[in-house]
Amino acid sequence: MAVYRRESRRRPIMALIVITCLALITLDGQGNGVIGSVRHSAQEAIAPVQSLVADAFDPVTNVFDGVTKVDGLEADNAELRARVAELEGQLSRDRGVSDEYSQLVQLLDIPDVEDVTGVVARVIRGPAGNFERTITINKGTAQGIVTGMPIVAGDGLVGKVTDSSRSQATVTLIDNPGLGVGVRTEKSREQAVTQGRSGDRLLRLGFIENPRAPIEVGELLFTAGSEGAAYPADVPVARVVRIDRDRGELDPDVFVEPLVSLDQLIYVKALRMPRSEMTTDRG
Amino acid sequence: MRWIRFFLLIVSLVVIQTAIFPSLRVFGAVPDLLLVATVAVAYERGPEAGAVFGFVAGAAIDVFLASPMGVSALAFALTGYGIGIFQSGLVRSSRWMAPILGGIGGLVGGFLWICIASIAGQDDLFATASFRILVTAAIYDALVAFLVFPFARWACGEPDFAHR
Repeated sequence: MAVYRRESRRRPIMALIVITCLALITLDGQGNGVIGSVRHSAQEAIAPVQSLVADAFDPVTNVFDGVTKVDGLEADNAELRARVAELEGQLSRDRGVSDEYSQLVQLLDIPDVEDVTGVVARVIRGPAGNFERTITINKGTAQGIVTGMPIVAGDGLVGKVTDSSRSQATVTLIDNPGLGVGVRTEKSREQAVTQGRSGDRLLRLGFIENPRAPIEVGELLFTAGSEGAAYPADVPVARVVRIDRDRGELDPDVFVEPLVSLDQLIYVKALRMPRSEMTTDRG
Repeated sequence: MRWIRFFLLIVSLVVIQTAIFPSLRVFGAVPDLLLVATVAVAYERGPEAGAVFGFVAGAAIDVFLASPMGVSALAFALTGYGIGIFQSGLVRSSRWMAPILGGIGGLVGGFLWICIASIAGQDDLFATASFRILVTAAIYDALVAFLVFPFARWACGEPDFAHR
């Protein structure tokens, strides 16, 4: 009898939990303000404790980093030396073209990275889950960080602000599935959109304007910065690392690697676009 | 008193999960401390407590994730319920029970999370790389279960055999 009573009590509890969860998912998916406020309040309340604990465990995480990443350092070093040599040559070649290009951009009145001001912020934590690519920065609406702002680091584009509370903001990284960035290729200037892939650090290049364009491995991608875009023009985004051309398929599979080391960010800059709508989703 | 201990357990694990483990990734994966705690509570106190604890713990971690609120809550509640049903047939004394259940719970909970998040509109989760991360995270869950299970056992208090 007792077993029967327990069984009959479990079902309504499970049903209630499932219905509540489905309601929460639906409401949050529709951008319900109450859920957003609850999220922000909870995040703000727990932030000082998180910061304290993170600081206290800094030595441990540093040792862990040293142990887990030491193998890759030598290879990284060699690769970086080769890249420096290559880029120095490229810089000389590009110098002649850049003046001409800047004049054309000014004539077209497209906002580029030189036109924007920014807010420097510190990365306070990475993503807590396994299937999302976000970081949290220590500046929020109080410092002028609003949803939609592009985020850059020294090497190039990092992502964009997708949520901001008073003192912190969440930045979705460019390798997060679902965040596409409108880019142009370095040489052929073909427009395309980067597409993050779950669990993978390489992005796929989709919607290539002309799939037969001669895109090469090593070529850089810059933000396209077309009218109304969420990112200013000419911010370096990624480098082509692999091109798979299957026979019979029109579009090659182009894989690109973000220029910024997205797992090792410390400081980033949120850009204030001069004439953009910060809540736009367009790449 | 038990609810206060559960509250402390959830808050502590949320802080550790969000402040420390993002820097302790192994092959891109982090353990899911709240999921392991849900498995532990379900193991100690049965399906009902496992489901309710899973719901609250999942909702707590959902606050810090970019995925829609309720995805982890539902995945953890279902995992807690399932593990709670499953545990009634288990022999209790094995010291390997924590990592085994932690690993199984990590796999089941992670898979449920992927399914629910995909239905909720998260892009591109059914990919080979996702399943590689899922397995790595489950192994990590099994390891952290050695630490989380005693903490959860403390929160559960004295064994209550009525739930069986």
